[in-house]
Amino acid sequence: MTVPRNNDIMRNLLNFLFNYGYWLLFLLLEVASLLLLFRFNSYQGSVGFTSANRVVGQIYAVSAEVSSFFKLRTVNDQLTLHNIHLQAENKALREALKDIQPDAQEETTAHALQEGGYDIIPTHVINNSLHLPDNYITLDKGAADGVSPEMGVVNGNGVVGIVYMVSKHYSLAISLLNSKSSISCKFKHNDYFGYLKWKGGSSQHALLEDVPRHALFQKGDTVVTSGYSAVFPQGLMVGTVDSIADSNDGLSYLLHVRLSTDFACLDNALIIANKSQEEQHALEAKAIKE
Amino acid sequence: MLITFLKRFGWFWVLVIMQALILNNVHFFGYATPFLYIYLLLKFDANMSRYSLLLWGFTLGLAVDIFSNTPGVNAASATLLAFSRPTLLKLFAPRDGAEDFSPSVHSMGTGPFIRYASMASLVHQTALILLLTFSFAHPLVMLLKVVSGALLTTLCIWAIEFTRK
Repeated sequence: MTVPRNNDIMRNLLNFLFNYGYWLLFLLLEVASLLLLFRFNSYQGSVGFTSANRVVGQIYAVSAEVSSFFKLRTVNDQLTLHNIHLQAENKALREALKDIQPDAQEETTAHALQEGGYDIIPTHVINNSLHLPDNYITLDKGAADGVSPEMGVVNGNGVVGIVYMVSKHYSLAISLLNSKSSISCKFKHNDYFGYLKWKGGSSQHALLEDVPRHALFQKGDTVVTSGYSAVFPQGLMVGTVDSIADSNDGLSYLLHVRLSTDFACLDNALIIANKSQEEQHALEAKAIKE
Repeated sequence: MLITFLKRFGWFWVLVIMQALILNNVHFFGYATPFLYIYLLLKFDANMSRYSLLLWGFTLGLAVDIFSNTPGVNAASATLLAFSRPTLLKLFAPRDGAEDFSPSVHSMGTGPFIRYASMASLVHQTALILLLTFSFAHPLVMLLKVVSGALLTTLCIWAIEFTRK
């Protein structure tokens, strides 16, 4: 008659848990980590687990303030250079304009964008990375300033990325240097278009995929946003064609694009809010349903 | 008790902030990034309970993740490191030493401590790079990243130990 008593079983179980319970804790924590990892892609509420949360945002904002002070010299140089270019361009344009129509209006980019149904929110980049497989950019404007997901981010040189998540005062944008980034682009001088992707490697180059085989272009051509996606207006600078190859299936071209934005020194940026984006999305969703 | 906790808490934040603001931006040859924050896990007393080790590891990793926009990646690898630390310590600590000690160049000797630190960073770095890339498309690049990152981390740990002595 050696039936184990309940008491013994309980004690053994407790002993076992006491000695090996850390295995359970270990598995629990690993599962929690992996859940975080996999849900990040689809779960908007996880903004608290990114650098766009309040505390981390503030720390990065201070750090960015300090480092942008040290960058001032470079920024100054760039601005001067830019200024000279603009002056030259301005002069050339004025002269060209004089010949065509003497009473035309002058418009700045920001002004032109606002006229075209886009709102502009100036912002600063406070955190940025280049070398991860998926890079994100933290910006110091959030929902309180009118930022919402799916808005475009640009700077003086070209396209930077798309807003992904927003908290009250900060937002997280998908950089062009992210495997999730896909931006509809076209050539400046005609309307053949493709999708701009990034698959790791250099922070100065990206790939333009799905360009049809009959498209007309050559090396050095300028690539701009197509404006089809409602995130960016048409014609924003993206980069120039660096080299031309065939896609894996041979049905389209695969272009290496040299990005005009220097992601290694981002500071000032503009968030572009398209006023009619919701309307376009609703229309497109309806069309897909029917 | 409270003082020990505050000390650990202080180290925690110093290491996390240092990782976020400085070390995450270091990419030697485009491959090697030091993950010095694991120093905290390596320095805990030898007889610290496995439970608190795991919890510290997870929290530390999660804090680094939140700063670097890689949710779960550092948390998972730091938890793995915390889990394997008692085994690593048993492997490399001198057998005739005291029962309870804080692992350091002093208490273990330079050789054993460096072996312990490098093995720990290798475990951590392997898990980290695997989760970060999440594909076996470029095994050689991954291997290079793991080895160079672990080497650099060990070097940093050794440097801190050296200056603290």
